Amino acid sequence: MTLAPTLALRGVSKNFGMTAALTDMTLELFPGEVHAIVGENGAGKSTMIKIMTGIHHPSSGVLEVDGAAVVLNGSKAARLRGVAAIYQEPMVFPDLDVTENIFISATSGLFLNRPTMRRAARALIARIGMTLDVDRIASGLSLAEQQAVEIARALSQDVRVLIMDEPTASLSAHEASELRRIARALAEDGVSVVYISHRLEEVFELANRVSVIRDGKHISTKLISDTDPQTLIAEMVGREVGNYFTKMPSTATTETLLSVQGLSVDGVFEDISFDIKRGEILAMAGLIGARRTDVALALFGMLKTSAGTVTYKGQSLKITSSRQAIDAGIAYVSEDRRKLGLAMALPIRWNISLATLQKYLTPMGLINTSAEIATAWDYKKKLNIRTPNTDIAVGNLSGGNQQKVMLAKWLNMTPDLLIVDEPTRGIDVGAKAEVHALIRAFTAAGGTALVISSDLPEVLALGDRILVMREGRQMAILNHADASQESIMALATGQKDAA
Amino acid sequence: MGLLSRLSPAALRILALLAVLAIVILFFASQIEGYLNGRLFNRISSSVAIMALIATGQTLVILTRNIDLSVGSVVGFTAFATGSIITNHPELNPLLLLLYAALVGTSFGIINGLLVAYARVPSIIVTLATMALFRSFLVEYSNAKSITSDSLPTWLTDFPNLPVFSIGTLEFRAGFTASLVVVLLVHLCLTRLRPARALFAVGSNPEAADMAGIDAKRVVFAAFALSGLMAGLAGFMFLARFGNITVVAGLGFELKSVASSVVGGVNIFGGSGSVIGAFLGAILVDLLETSLVRWAVVSEFWREAVLGALILLAVATDTILSRRLAKLRAKKSKETTK
Amino acid sequence: MSRLFSWEGFLFACLVVIFTFNAIAAPDFLGVSNQINLFQLSIEKIILALVMTFVIINAEIDLSVGSMMGLSACTFGYLYQMGLPAPLVILICLFIGIAGGLFNGWFIARLGLPSLVVTLATLIGFRGLARVMLEDRGIGSFPDWFAALGQKGLIGPVPFALIAFVVLFILLYILLERSGFGRKTYVIGSNRDVADFAGIDTARHKIIIFTMSGVAAAFAGLLYAARVGAVRGDVASGFELDVITIVLLGGVSIFGGKGSLVGTLLAILIVLNLRNGMALLSITGHIQTGVIGLLLIASVVIPRIKLSTPRSFKPEVAA
Repeated sequence: MTLAPTLALRGVSKNFGMTAALTDMTLELFPGEVHAIVGENGAGKSTMIKIMTGIHHPSSGVLEVDGAAVVLNGSKAARLRGVAAIYQEPMVFPDLDVTENIFISATSGLFLNRPTMRRAARALIARIGMTLDVDRIASGLSLAEQQAVEIARALSQDVRVLIMDEPTASLSAHEASELRRIARALAEDGVSVVYISHRLEEVFELANRVSVIRDGKHISTKLISDTDPQTLIAEMVGREVGNYFTKMPSTATTETLLSVQGLSVDGVFEDISFDIKRGEILAMAGLIGARRTDVALALFGMLKTSAGTVTYKGQSLKITSSRQAIDAGIAYVSEDRRKLGLAMALPIRWNISLATLQKYLTPMGLINTSAEIATAWDYKKKLNIRTPNTDIAVGNLSGGNQQKVMLAKWLNMTPDLLIVDEPTRGIDVGAKAEVHALIRAFTAAGGTALVISSDLPEVLALGDRILVMREGRQMAILNHADASQESIMALATGQKDAA
Repeated sequence: MGLLSRLSPAALRILALLAVLAIVILFFASQIEGYLNGRLFNRISSSVAIMALIATGQTLVILTRNIDLSVGSVVGFTAFATGSIITNHPELNPLLLLLYAALVGTSFGIINGLLVAYARVPSIIVTLATMALFRSFLVEYSNAKSITSDSLPTWLTDFPNLPVFSIGTLEFRAGFTASLVVVLLVHLCLTRLRPARALFAVGSNPEAADMAGIDAKRVVFAAFALSGLMAGLAGFMFLARFGNITVVAGLGFELKSVASSVVGGVNIFGGSGSVIGAFLGAILVDLLETSLVRWAVVSEFWREAVLGALILLAVATDTILSRRLAKLRAKKSKETTK
Repeated sequence: MSRLFSWEGFLFACLVVIFTFNAIAAPDFLGVSNQINLFQLSIEKIILALVMTFVIINAEIDLSVGSMMGLSACTFGYLYQMGLPAPLVILICLFIGIAGGLFNGWFIARLGLPSLVVTLATLIGFRGLARVMLEDRGIGSFPDWFAALGQKGLIGPVPFALIAFVVLFILLYILLERSGFGRKTYVIGSNRDVADFAGIDTARHKIIIFTMSGVAAAFAGLLYAARVGAVRGDVASGFELDVITIVLLGGVSIFGGKGSLVGTLLAILIVLNLRNGMALLSITGHIQTGVIGLLLIASVVIPRIKLSTPRSFKPEVAA
């Protein structure tokens, strides 16, 4: 690689007040490479992207495009230089159609020429190997289709550096591999692809080079062939991670807590049947669109079932509201912290007591604040929630600590059945290990857990048994001993049929 | 379902509105003798001429997820200020006078725009405040005097009623025609001009608009400035039509313009809607008011109660139907992927 | 929390300045009778503002309160004139308040329509019903005991309005700041889905809040009828905007989840005394409203300036 880097950071630092978010960061991106960037949450990845896309200015240091120092004022200036970013949550306009979404940032010409625009949109969609009606309104598109629209938008502006920030975190395995194919094809076209991901398998499959950043500092940049996952993780956390991927012995008893028979929701999923024993962890694996979350929502009373029976603690149970589920001892920890999990602007303490507010009410309906504070501090200690006190807004915490607050909220009701949906999405390796330990401790103490996860190593690390779903149907229930990433994936993608 | 699913939701809304308009007209035609005549058209068109302009401006603002509650006060102030200028300088060129009204309105819009877009104060707060503030400017400026129609030049008071052309017995007068032209012009700009699409983008997803390099602040600012401009033009029309202007001129127009937009299918959460819809909404609102006054079966005082029910009905139907449609489409797209 | 505290401190400082200014401008301003008088003359708006605090913290808005107040006042006049006994009519009016609130709440919470639109419709609709009853007549000459309730002192010089306010404030304060109901009000306002998932019946909660708003407005309408002694179709028209202004000035976030009744109370006192002070300087009503509008904008802009530097950096929120 003797070419000049398309984009380079040279000794870039960024301070916010007294806090240093980036220190002396150096990074070179060459045409045609997929450059992975890994690091824990809060390592400075977001700040780095914002500097590369002109949203933040470096406090010191230089940003270079094609070897010349530049100052980018805002994302528009960055786009004009050929730098664009796509995110885990696609940035589309739900009310506009695909064509307009692609050309929304175009500036040429005062008048819109619809026919030309549609033709161009079709060509761009075809270039990334997708099929998509360019007249569809974006609100009806799937996540993967929305991301394709975003990539097409970047291509329409002659993108030279495409930053992909956790693009596959919400995609099914098939969609994710499709996206990786697109990323590779773009790189072969000469685009520099910056690929940020928590999924190391993906990094090793896709990247040419990988950079590790930690605490706002550059740790290493290596050719992918010169490193391995263990080294990367060690560099990311600055310590050896214990047995994150190791399965612990099952704590399942012989008593059946929950038995589901032929559960269906019209048009969503059908004929789901499984048992869970007290003390067991049942993992639900599958791709996005497998409708695992919908099964959880049905069990939690947030989705109306159309057929099937639920036997819980030996009795038939029909749950039609979250209140009923909670009263029955069923907790549901949502995958979407921001929208469904936590009231971000409200204090940690309020969030922790939320599902169990009844416990803190006097007969007059007033809140017993001291009992509430005691509970919050109890969980702060037990779950190692890093915060000076429990009165600050939960939105100020890191992702991992937010996840712990969410778990605290539901553990506080001492549930019999804890449904955890994507327990470690978007949180760093250290916090992942802590969350896994928490779930294990919960079942060891007699609780029962249903864990939904798209992260196969996680499924294998936690699940005593593994239920695999595909497009609303149950494919199989595997014992841990019989399961492997390959066997699960074969079922989830439909390459192997339901037994 | 074939045709329905091919039409865009926006086009469906317009069709539905036209259908409702037709039903209302037919209903009252069967109830009131001599209902369908040129006078009805004149009455409604001269009143809609003012409201259509305000509702157009309001729609631009609502598209960006904001609201402009100050338009009534802007109409009042502009009408008064313009009237006071022409009273003192009767020889003033009509175009200059119109320009003056436009400038006055736009400056108020700019104040709103600066506060909402650049000082980042929620629009409902800003315009709630400027509604009071601009009205107090009017009180101060008027110094307890009123504008009377006999102090105005006849060209001005005659203007709204000048016949321009007729279709059958329907006589299109200058006021209504001018307003119709403005609405159509804004509609063309909104659908054909590249910069205008930014209004929809900002209302549809502000964060994405920011990422796409759209200067959301400028867009919101522009929407408010244009809303001010429209209110200024409406103020001019108000002066020309009524002639007598007091400090309460334009009171209540803010809510009526929101009602017109919403009845016209403009999504109160931004991102979708059209000024044609708002225009039809304004007609529907006015048609009902005018017709109820003439309907002998109920007291004319029912008109507000009916208007309230109409708004609720329009929004409820729209919400329920568009939810159904979305569900239907989702189902269909699922079937095709299988 | 600390920011909220400082906001109330700021309001308090404003109040002190206004008080001092007024006291210098007019010696009898600080007199008890003047202050009681101020309260009595605005009791309806004050009650509406207290309940509107709940509505806005719940991330909704109720534009129909002025019209509901008018509807209640007009119904009172209409039915009383028809010869129904006043106590029965009072009950009917309160019932209408409940019904109107349920109506709003049902469309908003169960059907999921935006409250801005629903209550805009009922703002027009309730007012319309009031006009259907009274057309353009005015009705007066209510029973003496009723008029006395609104015009004379109930316990010594202390009028019913003031007593009603104190009782209501204490009850609502406990309800919002100390009770489970209040906690749910904040949580639903902050994030309704989170509340739904935590087993809270958020639709029911919202309906209750709109019903509170409706019944409070009906009560305010009765107080108005008692105080003024006559009602017309346009009673309390435009009150909604004044009331919302007070609540927002008090630091309640228009996006919900934030605010306090103490803030609203301070804002009430500021607005009352500011208007009183301006009246002493013979500044007219519309201009007074304009000044309060200015204050409203300042109340949002000023804290922004103070806090704009450190707020741009939020560490570690989302990947």
